[in-house]
Amino acid sequence: MSDPRLERMARTIVGYSLALKPGDLLRIEAAALAQPLILAAAAEAIRAGAHVITRISLDGIGETFLRHASDEQLAYVAESEKVETETVTARLAIGGGWNNRSLSGISPDRLALQRKARAALAERMMQRRLKGELRWCITQYPTNASAQDAEMSLVEYEDFVFSACFADRPDPIAEWRNLSAMQAGLVERLGRVRRLRIEARDTELELSVEGRRWVNSDGKANFPSGEVFSAPVENSVNGRIRFEFPAVYSGRMVTGITLEFRDGRVSSARAESGEDFLKAMIATDAGAAALGEVAFGTNAGIQRFTRNILFDEKIGGTMHFALGNAYPECGGANKSAIHWDLIKDLRTEGRVFADGELIYEHGRFKDERSRGRVA
Amino acid sequence: MTDPRLQAMAKVIVNYCLELKAGTEMRIDAPYLAEPLIREIYREALLAGAYPSTFIGISGLGPIRYRYASEEQLKHVSKLEEFSVENLSAVVTLWADWNTREMTNVDSKKMAMFRAARKELNTRFLERIAKRELRWCGTLFPTHASAQDAEMGLEEYENFVFGAMLLDKPDPIAEWRRVSGEQQRMVDFLNQVKRIEMKTKDTDLRFSCAGRKWINCDGKENFPDGEVFTGPIEDSVEGTIRFSFPAVYGGKEVEDVRLRFEKGRCVEAHAAKGEEYLNAMLDSDEGARYVGEIAFGTNYGIQRFTKHTLFDEKIGGTMHLAVGASLSESGGVNKSSLHWDMVCDFREAGEVRADGRLILKDGKLLL
Repeated sequence: MSDPRLERMARTIVGYSLALKPGDLLRIEAAALAQPLILAAAAEAIRAGAHVITRISLDGIGETFLRHASDEQLAYVAESEKVETETVTARLAIGGGWNNRSLSGISPDRLALQRKARAALAERMMQRRLKGELRWCITQYPTNASAQDAEMSLVEYEDFVFSACFADRPDPIAEWRNLSAMQAGLVERLGRVRRLRIEARDTELELSVEGRRWVNSDGKANFPSGEVFSAPVENSVNGRIRFEFPAVYSGRMVTGITLEFRDGRVSSARAESGEDFLKAMIATDAGAAALGEVAFGTNAGIQRFTRNILFDEKIGGTMHFALGNAYPECGGANKSAIHWDLIKDLRTEGRVFADGELIYEHGRFKDERSRGRVA
Repeated sequence: MTDPRLQAMAKVIVNYCLELKAGTEMRIDAPYLAEPLIREIYREALLAGAYPSTFIGISGLGPIRYRYASEEQLKHVSKLEEFSVENLSAVVTLWADWNTREMTNVDSKKMAMFRAARKELNTRFLERIAKRELRWCGTLFPTHASAQDAEMGLEEYENFVFGAMLLDKPDPIAEWRRVSGEQQRMVDFLNQVKRIEMKTKDTDLRFSCAGRKWINCDGKENFPDGEVFTGPIEDSVEGTIRFSFPAVYGGKEVEDVRLRFEKGRCVEAHAAKGEEYLNAMLDSDEGARYVGEIAFGTNYGIQRFTKHTLFDEKIGGTMHLAVGASLSESGGVNKSSLHWDMVCDFREAGEVRADGRLILKDGKLLL
C-alpha cells in the first residue's frame, strides 16, 4: 500500500482537477521515478471510465538526446505525436525527476531549436484547451532532487507537497472547492478594478488592468494552485519593484532583482547575482521587456520558497509578475518566447491599492469575505 | 558490463590508495546507491587476497535520527563502533548521495551533540591512520544529487569525476605516482618554511608552520587528490579570511563565511547564510575554533567549482583551511570532533608568501 496522501492526491487530480469522464483519453507524462503517483492516477482514471496512455521518461534520456542528436534529429517531430496532440482529451504532466540540473550543460541554442520545432504542438494544445476539447493538469511528485532544491529531506518535502495539495486532509476536493469559491469572490472584485498600485520596501509600481479578465486558478490546470491572475495593459506599467525571492529560469538562479518600468517596458534591470542572465532574458525579444502577467498567490498551505515555480508563485501573501508572454484567457496581448514569473513577498510589509482604495495589506485582502487565504 | 572507468577506479582504490595486501580485513562503507562501484571494489579486494566486508547505508536515516532520538540516544556510542575503529585495517568510504541537502533542517545543536559524543572515536580513527595501522580512503561515486549541485547532467558529471581521478588515462596508477613526485618537491620546500602569509580579497591571514610537516596528498586518503597540507602552530593563526565558495558540512550549506582569528582562536564568525549553524559547529568543543589544517590545492585538472569538498579543496590555485581536528601526521595537536574544510579561491588577485618569498600569485605556483 502506498502513502494514503498519494492516493488522495490522485483522486483529487482525477475527480476534481481533470474531472475525467467515461470515454476520456488521458495521457500521463512523467519520469519513471514517479511510478507510485503514475499508478495511483492511472487506477483512479480507469475507475472513472477513462482510457489511459502513459509517456514515461527514463533516467538520463533527455540529456542523452540533447547531447548527441543532430540538428535534424532535434527538430524532428514524429507523426504519432501530432496524432496524440489531436486525440487526447486530458493530460497529466507530473514533474519530479532524478536531477533538476541535468540540462545545465546543454547549449541554449540546442534547447531553442527543439522548443521551436515543438512550438506548433504546444500551440495546438493551447487552442484545443481554449475550445474545451482538452484539459490538462501540471503537478509534482516529491523526489529527492526537488527536496534537495528546497533544502529539505525527502520526508519533509513530501509533507510540504501533500499539505500544499491539501492531500493531508480527509476531503481535499471539498477544500479545493472552498478555495475556488473564495477566489471567485476575488476575481469578481478585481474584475471591477482599473488601476493597481503596489507599495512596499523599494517598491512603487502602478499598472492598469482595465478591461482585462482575472482568472481563478483553483487547482485544475496547476495542482496545487491558489492564485488569481490577469494581464496588465501592456503600456501601463510604471515605477519600480524589488523581488525578495530568487528567480529561477531554466535552472539558472538570479537573486535580488530590482526592475524599473516606463510606459510598460523595463527601463532598468539590476540583480545582486545573475544580472547578465537577467538582462539577456529581457533582451530575448520585444515582448520579454514587458509584463504578461500580474497575480496574487493565495495558498496559505505554502509558506516556504522551494525553487519550484509551481509552488513558489502560489505562496499565500505574495504577488507575482511575469516578464513575457501573456495568457490569452486574460485578454493580454503581449507575446514572447519567455514567461518568467518573479515573486514579490508582501507578507511582512507592503500594501496594494485598487483605484486608490487600500485592498491588501500584510499579505491579506482587507475584506474578510475574500481575505485571500484559505485554511 | 559496468562502465570500464568504474573497474579502473576499483583497481586504483585497491592497489594504489589502500595498497591492500593478502590477509587484510577491509570494509567498504557506502550507501546502496553506489552498488556498481561496491561490486567492483569487492571483486578487486578479493583478487588482492584481502577479506572484504560491506557496511551499506540507506537514505533518510539521518533525518530520522535527529527527529526522534533522545539526548541519551544521540550520545550513545556503541561498543561495535569502538571495536571497528580499533580493529579495522582498511576502510574505503564511498560518498554517494540521493539528496545532498537532507540534513538542512536538522537541529544544529543535536548534530553537534552527536558529533561531540564521537570525539574520542574520531581522534582514535585519525591516530590509527597517522600511524599507518589503518588505511583509509574517502572517494565519491557520481550520483544525480551531486551532479545537480554541480549543475551538470549525470553523464557530464561522470566525465568530470572520472577525469579528475585520471581514470580516462591508460595507466591511472602511473599518473598518480607522477603527481606524487611533483608534489613531493613542493613539500620538501615548504618543510623549510617558518611563516606563511595569505592575501586575497577580504583575506589577510598569517600563521607559523615552523617545525610542522607538510604532507603530500597524492590520492591515498582522498581520491582524487592533489593537495599539500600542514597543521599550523595552533596559537599562531592571526587575521581574517573570507571563503569564496559555499562551505558544506554534515549536509548543511553555509555561504560566504568570514572568520577572524586572534592567537589561533576564531573570535568572530559570520556567514550570509547559515551563520547560526556555523557558530553551533564552532562551539562543538574547544578545539573547534582552532585551525587544524591549512592546505594548497594543486590539482590543475579540476577547474570547476562543484559544491563538493572532495573536489573543490583540490582545485589548483585555491587554498583551504579546516577548523577543528588536526591530522597528527603533520605534527598538529588540535583535538576536536569537528574537521570542516573551507575553500578560498586565490585564482584572481591572490598572493601567498613563505618567509617573505612570493610562492603563489593569482593561482599560479611559483615554486
